Parts: sequence; structure tokens; C-alpha cells
Amino acid sequence: MSFLSLIFKNPFRNKSRALLSIIGIGIGIATIVALGAITDGLISSAEDTLHAGGSDFTVSSKEQDSSNMGSFGSASFNETWRDKIANESNIEWAAGVYVGNVVTKDDPFFIMIGLNKEHYNMVDLKIVEGHENTAENEIIIGKLASDTINKTTGDTIELDDKEYKISGVYETGNSNMDMGAITTLSTVQNLMDDEGNITSIYVKVNKDADVDEITENIDKKYGDNLTTIASLSDIEMVGEMVDMLNGASWAISLLAIIIGGIGIINTMLMSVFERIREIGVLKAVGWSSKRILIMIIGESVVITLTAGVIGSIVGFIGVEALTYFNLMPGVTPVYTVWTFLKAFIVALIVGIVGGIYPAIKATKLPPTEALRYE
Amino acid sequence: MENIAQIRNLKKSYENGNIKALNGIDLDIKRGEFVSIIGPSGSGKSTLLNMLGALDIPDSGEIKVADYDLTKNKNLNEFRGKKIGFIFQLHNLIPNISACENVEIPMFAQKISSKEMRNKSLSLLEIVGLKDKAEMLPNKLSGGERQRVAIARALANNPSIILADEPTGSLDSKTSNKILKQLTRLHEEENVTLIIVTHDMNVAKLADRVIEVLDGKILSKNDDSLLDSEISI
Repeated sequence: MSFLSLIFKNPFRNKSRALLSIIGIGIGIATIVALGAITDGLISSAEDTLHAGGSDFTVSSKEQDSSNMGSFGSASFNETWRDKIANESNIEWAAGVYVGNVVTKDDPFFIMIGLNKEHYNMVDLKIVEGHENTAENEIIIGKLASDTINKTTGDTIELDDKEYKISGVYETGNSNMDMGAITTLSTVQNLMDDEGNITSIYVKVNKDADVDEITENIDKKYGDNLTTIASLSDIEMVGEMVDMLNGASWAISLLAIIIGGIGIINTMLMSVFERIREIGVLKAVGWSSKRILIMIIGESVVITLTAGVIGSIVGFIGVEALTYFNLMPGVTPVYTVWTFLKAFIVALIVGIVGGIYPAIKATKLPPTEALRYE
Repeated sequence: MENIAQIRNLKKSYENGNIKALNGIDLDIKRGEFVSIIGPSGSGKSTLLNMLGALDIPDSGEIKVADYDLTKNKNLNEFRGKKIGFIFQLHNLIPNISACENVEIPMFAQKISSKEMRNKSLSLLEIVGLKDKAEMLPNKLSGGERQRVAIARALANNPSIILADEPTGSLDSKTSNKILKQLTRLHEEENVTLIIVTHDMNVAKLADRVIEVLDGKILSKNDDSLLDSEISI
């Protein structure tokens, strides 16, 4: 038998106590995994929106309008800017888009996307049911929105006191776009009472062209009115949202460390007190304090790492269940190595921190007292 | 024959000096000797055994065991691991590992492979007649068998001295006899120094020498001895 196998066997002597500890710490770990996957999913879908249809960057107004969440808080600007951007060198295409929130019966922030048909292919739009909008009073609805508000081809939807017919259902693979509905740019401009304006321009550069150079050039040339966004960090509002989510994720991790740590201290202290005599024997047969310390901390880490594995699986299943039952519309969870690595780092820290005090307590026991312990 | 243990004016007290557990002990024990220590409860016999095994530190005096000066040496774990084999009244086996693995426990401090540990453990269990029960958990063994596993564990690191504190105290007389036979055989065949603390005169008289402790002191031959009276009965 190796020292390691003893460390693996010991925590499960009292199975029910080990199980309770694993459940307690596992809940914290599951929360960390779930929140990490959701946060990364939100960031990823925001990134997808920025790079809709494979655009390299987005151009938006320098002015802020926090009432319009659909356009990441940017105010609208004149659509003639689209032609100016399209005429810049090394630009493959530039699509003017209006993204706005409209109040509907089912959703007070229903996303309406105004986009002319010639740009549909630029956002990778695929009609999965029905057909494209042909008449002025027709819209196409995103698959996620269709599932959420339970409306599909042939149904009508009331937008700003006017009825629109759903001519088809589309999918772009971008959850933010699929959570809304698309109709012509002019219709959305009318709906938003903002004729002649757009909220953003999706821009694709020519192959081998330098995106940084082009965005720098545009910022220099039109910087008084427009701003280019090549990544999420360029958007102050989204940056703040991501910071907030990351902060919440870390706060929960810290809570998991504290609560899990207290739980494991209790478990390991009980384990040490139950085994005082045994620890006395280990000292009597020549075990050093360091070896006993490593054994107790090792046992604590075995419990927390087991909780880490189980918690990660439960977190994953939980998030998948939320997605399956459409309880997180618009969010596609993203699992990265970091999502799980963070959970395991937390489990490891909880194990070490929680094991230290009981381990020190065990090593400080005088062998004669430990052997006399009843 | 050379001394394996040499004790001079050894003193140990507890509770701020109110309880004098050892009050000036002088004792020499020869290599390969079988010594039993007797005395009433609280006489200091277990404290003396603990001092010999470096489980406790004296307040004053000198104690040298197996070439280790226990009053000066800091590495007492190494001393216990290499030189001493302990047998307690209660076997104190680890319940969730097999008999064989329990015997391996003292070997962890030595730098030997798991395979070597296992082989040595099996050969020790063979010595105590339990090779066929090597894979059993302690709760599947009888009281006597558990104590025999504890004896095998005490022999794990080829100790110079075996210290046994009431090794048969929790066993019935038939099982006690078996355990004592095993210990005396080990002492004779392996030439191990054996020191037993006991209340039981029948156990004590098996030894080459009986030391009687009373009020933290070793009784001289001229003192009224519990041993004389008991043995003469």
C-alpha cells in the first residue's frame, strides 16, 4: 500500500459524513461552473453580435444612449455614414443596421432589427420555416424569439399598435439576433420613430487587409462622430457588464471557499478527534509530524476534489437543463478549460485551507496523551 | 553483555510538580534481555515505558536507548521508527485497511517500495501465524488475532527493543497465553530486547528480570516486594 492510497481511503471511513461534505462543497463548485459557463456564454454571444455574419468590426455612434440595450448603448446616427464607410479603402462590405427595443405584449424589450434584404447573407441568415419578408407589414422572427413568445409563421405580432405578420422563422447562430425579429430597415426606423438613422454598421474588410489599421484610420477620420468596435473591451457598457458578471462569479467562488472551508474544517476536525488514538500510534511507530500533516491535508483535498468533480458534472448538467427547457433564452453556455480549472482551483484551495487547522491540531497532540485518549 | 538502555536519576512530574510520576529512576537493561515492569496503578511503570520509547520527555536525568541520547536528540520520530516496536493494550489498528496494510504502516518512514513493504508485511504475518488472514479488515479478526497483527506491526522495522504496555490486558487467558508464547518466541529466536509493563504476575514471571516500580521509584531487593509476595503464593 502506498501513502497516497491510504490518503484516498481514509476520508471514506465515515461515508455519510464524507458524502455530506462533498454535497456541501459540490454545490459551491456547481455554482461556480454554471455561472462561469453562463458568463462566458453571454460574452460569446455579445462577441457574435459584434462580428455578425463574419464582420470584422462594428461602427457605432460616439454618442451614448443607455436606453437602447440592443445597440450596446450607442445612440443612432445618419445612415449616410454607411456609404462613407463602404467607400473607404479595403472594405469588402458595410451593412447599415438598426437595432432597437420595441414593447410587445409578451416582451417589453423585444429586439427589432432593421436590415435590408441585400444584407441578409452578410449576417448568415437562414430561413428555417416560411419565407423572407416581402410586404411592408411582414417580419421574420428569430428561432429563439419564436420559441420564447410562442409565435411562428402565419401568426401576427403587435408592434407599436400595428399588426405585423410573421412570414418566416430564421436562424443566424447568433443568439442576440435570434432573440429578435428582422424586417426592413425603413420599417424599424419608422417603428422607432427615427427615420434615416441606423444604430450600427457591420463592416467586413478585404482579405489580408489589416483590421487595426482600417479601424484606426476610420477613428482618425470620423472620430468626432463615430467609433469603431473590434472587440467587447471597446464597449464601455458591455465591459462593465462583463466586469460585473466576473465579479459576481468571483464573489460566489470566495463564498464557496469560505462556506466550504468551514464545512471541511468541521469534517476534518471530527475525523481527527475520532482518530486521536490512531494518530498517537502513528507517532509511536515513527511517523513524523510532517507526514501526519500531509496525510490530514491530503484527506481534506481528496474530499474537496471529489466535490470538484461531482460539482462540475452537476453544474454542467444544471446549465444544460436550463438551456434545454429554454429558461435562459438568448444565452448559449460556453465551457472553457478555465471554467473547470477555476472550479478545481477553488476545490484545491478549500481542501488545503480547510485541512490545515485540523492537521496542525493532529500534529500538536503529544503521543502519550493521544494514546491515552478514550 | 552491553546495555541497550541506560537510565540515570530520571525524573518526570505532572500537574506543576504535584504528581511525581518518576522520582529518580536508575536502570540498566541489557541487549536481548526480557524485562517485565510491574507495579500498582499510578506507580509510574507506564511513564517509564513511555520514556524508554521516547513518547514522553523527562524533566531531568539521563536516558540513553539503543545509542540514542533521548534527552538531547531532537529526531525522536526517527528513533521510534527505527529502534522501537510498540505493542499497546488495545491493538489500535487502523479499521479501514487490511491486516497486511496495518503492518505496512511503520514502514512508510523507511524508503522502500510498496512491493517490498507488502512482502515484508506478509512474512511478518506468517511469523505471527496470520498470513492467511492478511487481506482481512481488523473487524473481521478476533481480539487475539488483532493483537498478533499489532505484534507483527511492532516488528515491521526490525526494532532493537519491543515495548509492550499490558499486551494481554484486554484478552482472555487462553488468548493471552498464545500472545505471550509468541512474544517469548520472538525474544528467544530473534534476540529482541523485550520490555513488558503488566499487572499480571503470571506474565511478569516469564521475564528474565522483574522490575517493580512504586511511587516513581524502582524498589530495591530489600524493599517489601509485591513480586515476592505474589510469586511465593
